[in-house]
Amino acid sequence: MTLKKLLKPFKLLSIAKKAGVVTVLYPYQKPLITPEFRGKIVIDSTKCMGCGACANACPPNALLITESNEAVILNYFVGRCIFCGRCADVCPTGAISISNEFELATTNLDNLKTILVHRHRECVNCGRPFATGRMLEYVLRKVHMAKKYINECPDCRKNRFINIVSIRKR
Amino acid sequence: MVMNTSKSKLSREEMIDALKKFSENIIFVESAGLIIRVKKDRLREVARFVHDVLDAYFRTMMAVDERPINNTFAAYYVFGKDELGLNIIIETHTDPLGPEIPSISDLVPTADWYELEAWDLLGIRFTGRKLYRFILPDEWPEGLYPLRKDVDYNLRPVIRKTLKQPPIGPKVPVGPYHPALHEPEYFELFVEGERVVDVRYNGFHIHRGIEKLAESPRFTYQKVPFLAERICGICGFVHSVSYTMSIERVAKIDVPERAEYIRSIILEIERIHSHLLWLGVACHLLGYDAGFMHTWRIREKVMVLAELLTGSRKTYGINLVGGVRKDINKDKIQVAMNTLSSVKEELSKLVEVITHVPQIVKRASGTGILPKDDARKLSVVGPVARASGLNRDVRKDYPYAAYPHVSFKVPVYSEGDNLARILVRIDEVFESINIIEQLLDKIPQGPIFAEKIEVPEGKIGVGNVEAPRGEVIHITITGKGRPYRWRVRAPTYQNIPALKVMLKDAPLADAPLTIASIDPCFSCTDRIVVVDLKTGKAMKKNMEEIIRKKR
Repeated sequence: MTLKKLLKPFKLLSIAKKAGVVTVLYPYQKPLITPEFRGKIVIDSTKCMGCGACANACPPNALLITESNEAVILNYFVGRCIFCGRCADVCPTGAISISNEFELATTNLDNLKTILVHRHRECVNCGRPFATGRMLEYVLRKVHMAKKYINECPDCRKNRFINIVSIRKR
Repeated sequence: MVMNTSKSKLSREEMIDALKKFSENIIFVESAGLIIRVKKDRLREVARFVHDVLDAYFRTMMAVDERPINNTFAAYYVFGKDELGLNIIIETHTDPLGPEIPSISDLVPTADWYELEAWDLLGIRFTGRKLYRFILPDEWPEGLYPLRKDVDYNLRPVIRKTLKQPPIGPKVPVGPYHPALHEPEYFELFVEGERVVDVRYNGFHIHRGIEKLAESPRFTYQKVPFLAERICGICGFVHSVSYTMSIERVAKIDVPERAEYIRSIILEIERIHSHLLWLGVACHLLGYDAGFMHTWRIREKVMVLAELLTGSRKTYGINLVGGVRKDINKDKIQVAMNTLSSVKEELSKLVEVITHVPQIVKRASGTGILPKDDARKLSVVGPVARASGLNRDVRKDYPYAAYPHVSFKVPVYSEGDNLARILVRIDEVFESINIIEQLLDKIPQGPIFAEKIEVPEGKIGVGNVEAPRGEVIHITITGKGRPYRWRVRAPTYQNIPALKVMLKDAPLADAPLTIASIDPCFSCTDRIVVVDLKTGKAMKKNMEEIIRKKR
């Protein structure tokens, strides 16, 4: 009985033999990731409309949206990304997809940045740039009624409305 | 469920009656527990009554700057009556100018750290005890209390120049701040020859101000779970669940059952990989590296399974207030079942070997003993409590998620030594596999996210989870769009004071294992200073050196 007990630690040899080699020669063989693995996100520039929903949801502020008079700029910096994929959840046009890519080491910082510039469309009345073209198309797809006023900036729309109302009053 | 045998067997109504003599202001809040509002001069009386007579464990304390709301500083002491699954929260308020609260650390020893933390971060002076800088670094300016609401979250203060005093007598030079091997925590062991006489802990070198950050405008209720997940490098999911639970209870969000099941499954997977990690490290500390390698080989399967179910190996990122983001399907359930049964088979073989290796059994048994009385007095949590004969488990005592739907045993050992702590964790791994199998078996169909999420303002909520290391408890006071105050208490916070008892009068050679035996987010054992009291000489030693020497 005691001998059996003493010999027990040697059972490890059979465990080890059964397990065999479990490591892979990583850079030469494929890494062991499952298809569910969340890596770097990919922004489809043909679908993105610059609404900023992703930047709103992003916990670490890896996605930032800045708006100037002429354009909306979407900044993605992988260095801050935590690979949670919340942006892909909230994107209304499905422009963001999650890839399996995780080998992101680079010697050039710019390789970690994605910058997307959406130029604003100009108002047909006053010529002031006011919203991205894709955003207007998106609105049009959702609300067909908008066709009448979609190419005007909010100020012009407001003025037109006030004019109509004031004419009626007279 | 096995009930704790305790001094007080009062029912809930009798308890409320007994508490009425201290204050009329008792309300029951569904999301938190029984809240008793007392004047600060009666605090000590009530605390003594609740801790000693009602025999409730000290769970956590939250200090809040409530000046924008009611022009006071407030402190919420949370005691837990495990048998009833009821929190007793003592609320007390103090003046905004020169806030002072009487200290209860002599009555409730666990409160010591909490008071020091509140003094450092909020400037509440606790009278009747010695206060010193505890959490903030020495260079932080005097009189600037970061958790006060008038301090910006991104403030970068001008650092204070401190004159480094040369060590006098047996005092010890403070060690490096940078992480050398794992994480920067720092113990000072005072020794006489080979015997440890006293222990001092010097921690919080990597305090990141996460609580303050969550109050900042760049965070919202739905962003905080991702922040919470990054509190711990091994068991992050418990923090995100604990946080979401506190909010869901406040907002009375009806979390779909399927989401609760998925959360519980992931929580148990986390427990398995955390315990296997610890078991491997314990083997390594005792010089049995073969056991270390094989435990981690088995652990890898669990990590891959976690990645399959959540999309990430460790920071799962699937939890939100109101539910989870990722569903599991039949294929995944099948893979999980297969993985778990192979893990179970391989682990039971390996564990049989490990528990028969003489160097492990001999070194672990009878060392680092934490007697039951001390464990009770210090309100220790998790495997440390269960190895000292306290039947404490949040999953049983304060049920949450899908745990009420499964049956499982809570392993309790009465020896209180390192071996008991090893055995508790081994048993828990098998128990966790059992729980996951039950959950996968009867996971209900349905949605995984709640429909309506509206969080009311100014309400208090408590969320607790049994983490691999013990009980995690979060208290949240809700605010506008984000928490007004979010208090996190990790299990190691409660367990480190118990090391003083465990290490005292023990040989130095056992110190590394004993410190590791509370599973202090393992990092903590990184560097220690050994002071020989006879010669008064301090030797700075790397933990690895001691381990190598004493093998």
